Amino acid sequence: MVSLLKRSLAIITLLIIGYWVAQAFAGVPFGQDKMLVGKYYLENVVNQTGSVNAVTAVVVNYRGFDTLGEVTVLFIASTGVGALLWRRKKERTARTEGSIVLKTGTRYLFPFILVFGAYIFIHGHLTPGGGFPGGATIATGFLLLYMAFIVYEIPHKSFEVTEGLVGMSYVIVGLIGLAIGGYFLYDWIWQTWHVGTTNIGRLLSGGFIPVIYTIIGLKVGTELSGIIDNMLKEEVRE
Amino acid sequence: MNGQYAALIIALPLISAFFIPVIKAASKKAVMPFLLLVTLLQVVVAGWLFKEVYTSGKPIIVMAGKWQPPIGIDLYIGHFAALFLLIIAVISFFTAYFSMKSIKVEPVDKYAMLFLLLMLGATGMIATGDIFNLFVFMEITAITAYALTAYNKTGEAAEASMKYMILGGIGSSFFLIGIALIYGATGTLNMAQLAQLAGNINPTVAQVGLALLVFGLAVEAELFPLNAWAPDAYQAAPHPVTVMFSAFVVKAGLYAMARILYLMQDVGSWHSVLRLLVIMATLTVVVAEFSALRQNDVKRMIAYSSISQVGMIAFAIALGTQSGIDAGVFHMVNHAVVKALLFIGVGYVGMKLGGTTLEDFEGLGRKMPLTAFAITVGSLSAVGIPLFNIFWSKIRILLAGVAAGYAWGVALILGASVVEAVYYIRLIHRMWFGGSGERVSESLVLGAIMLFLVAVILVIGFYPNYIWGIAQKAGADIFDVGRYISNVPLLEVGA
Amino acid sequence: MIHISVYYFGAISLILIGLYAVLVKKNVLKMLIGLSIMETGVNLLLISVGYISGRSAPILSEGVTPGRAVDPIPQALVLTAIVIGVATTAMALSVAIILYEKYNTLNVEEMRRLRG
Repeated sequence: MVSLLKRSLAIITLLIIGYWVAQAFAGVPFGQDKMLVGKYYLENVVNQTGSVNAVTAVVVNYRGFDTLGEVTVLFIASTGVGALLWRRKKERTARTEGSIVLKTGTRYLFPFILVFGAYIFIHGHLTPGGGFPGGATIATGFLLLYMAFIVYEIPHKSFEVTEGLVGMSYVIVGLIGLAIGGYFLYDWIWQTWHVGTTNIGRLLSGGFIPVIYTIIGLKVGTELSGIIDNMLKEEVRE
Repeated sequence: MNGQYAALIIALPLISAFFIPVIKAASKKAVMPFLLLVTLLQVVVAGWLFKEVYTSGKPIIVMAGKWQPPIGIDLYIGHFAALFLLIIAVISFFTAYFSMKSIKVEPVDKYAMLFLLLMLGATGMIATGDIFNLFVFMEITAITAYALTAYNKTGEAAEASMKYMILGGIGSSFFLIGIALIYGATGTLNMAQLAQLAGNINPTVAQVGLALLVFGLAVEAELFPLNAWAPDAYQAAPHPVTVMFSAFVVKAGLYAMARILYLMQDVGSWHSVLRLLVIMATLTVVVAEFSALRQNDVKRMIAYSSISQVGMIAFAIALGTQSGIDAGVFHMVNHAVVKALLFIGVGYVGMKLGGTTLEDFEGLGRKMPLTAFAITVGSLSAVGIPLFNIFWSKIRILLAGVAAGYAWGVALILGASVVEAVYYIRLIHRMWFGGSGERVSESLVLGAIMLFLVAVILVIGFYPNYIWGIAQKAGADIFDVGRYISNVPLLEVGA
Repeated sequence: MIHISVYYFGAISLILIGLYAVLVKKNVLKMLIGLSIMETGVNLLLISVGYISGRSAPILSEGVTPGRAVDPIPQALVLTAIVIGVATTAMALSVAIILYEKYNTLNVEEMRRLRG
């Protein structure tokens, strides 16, 4: 009885909140052109950043500071999971070995998955995607290895050190911008060195977008694999 | 030096946090001293920024990537930001030393990384000039806080962290809906440009958007009824982490709320949102004080006291007047110092004597006289006794409240202050006039830190005008939106 | 009745369903799934705000001029919001693992009873 009262109270509150929010969205007409800053981005993105993909230019170049924060958030998640699930000695507790289909498939597909992930993040300025989906694809490759082989483990030390070094390189890219151009996260490859200005629409363009996306792709791949590894292990009781 | 080097205040903790795994691979013992070094460097950078902004009177605007706002993201380091970045850095430095002594739960290197990132999150929330960037830094602060709350890995810590996560998750989702509404209505994310366009937004959209933004921030700013996570989290977190929560994490949330509220003051329904906020703030004060009375654990009791003081700051901000904001900022500074002192003292007792219940505090005057003295000064100050710093800020808040027409709120807050006196005096009585015990050795450095904070409290208590002058400049930074807009070099965009 | 587009309606319904699960369910994992659904709804809402009828993806090659592309900003915002949602979920799941180890149950009321 109490639970029924609680449920109906919750439903009524939610409907009121929903109606209130919907009323507000009635004032933001769907499908109309209401861009202000967006229009400036679309008109100037090719000249100012060298990338044809406006979304990645916004993410990495114009609003690069946000992406720095986002990379930090993922780093916090990986560190936090590592801190909370820390044990003195750990080992994997899976008991069922993968089936023959899984094992063979993984053995052959793993390199292709890694290459595909690398393709996604290297071409971030030309096709949709970028560092984050690329890194997630790489981590999926490692997840397949975990599911197929019950004794597989990623090499921890090197993954952790890679994570730290790659994160540092992102901040160092920003600091080099500060040193060369006078502003933090300044795109010195496109604006000062003018690399690839004749190459718009091809691989060797886009300023520092491919560089940063490679950094992010490696970071996300190692972090997500680290999280998977932490969650699939349990304590060894002696 | 070029003002753009102010970006170092964000880059320094970030690169150090990423560097720690490399240090750990080299030598595990070097991690904590490295943490101390980084916080010291942060104090130097923040001190330089404070001097620059206060001697020249002009804010420092960092344009990330050389893109002018609103095309790019800018950091607006005005009077308020410079003041609080310095406070955050100094308190982090003290807390880093305290952590070196008191954190024994493994893995310590990950604790150091999370510590630096918590400091970075609060710094970013205060320094930013873009509303989505505020969201990203708010999430950095929140997720680090979730991890640090559960760091001790006990059952209570995990429960507190889960409660915090669920409330925090709901809050940040609502904040994002607010951003969707405001972006849909104006087309920009830059705070200065939003203030310019605020008068032209459809009133329903503006009212709902503003309410959702404030609601999302109220979770971080610990206002009733969204502060259910706070007492549990303060109690279960490691002692240095509780110092950081109450000294600056909640202040960053309050600042963000104040900034957004005052930027959107041209919106039609501004006054109704303010009235709602006054009611929430008064409720926070009253509920927290009465809950504190029933507590047996001293750390939890002081946590409730911290929440009620935060309610008073929110009350001052929500008045909508210049004197209200100035009083609120003054109280933020005083509260940071007092609560840092109290939580360091209580945490030290917990570390040395193994617990923080009222029984552990019996006869503390004999066992650890320096710590007991520090806690006594902190308690007297929190109650609002004249000649201690909080007295001046509380008086100003109450005067501003009466001037703005909220006499009923002022009366309730005065009543709650009487309750506060009761439980603090009870604690002081227990410490000096109860039980017996032998001297326990106290750390010289921690004692020096506590005495420094006591000295700051007494100096502000006797000569409040210097800090009050600084608080007024910081308050004007938030209240005077016209000046804020003119300081930001906005590019002309749009048809 | 108010007139809103079906996309807004769908996203807001997802948010309400997620919020319902968080408020009413007792199992920690179900609450986390509700939180995840809520975050998905918010992301959908953000993207729908940026849509402009009759235009296509903001990748400016092969015939897509700046006048025929949708707003790139909400898409950039959602990229960040999705990653933040993933981080929160990962953290919440590890805390749930600790809770299960300490209390041997995932029911919030049982935990409250056990703690006393």
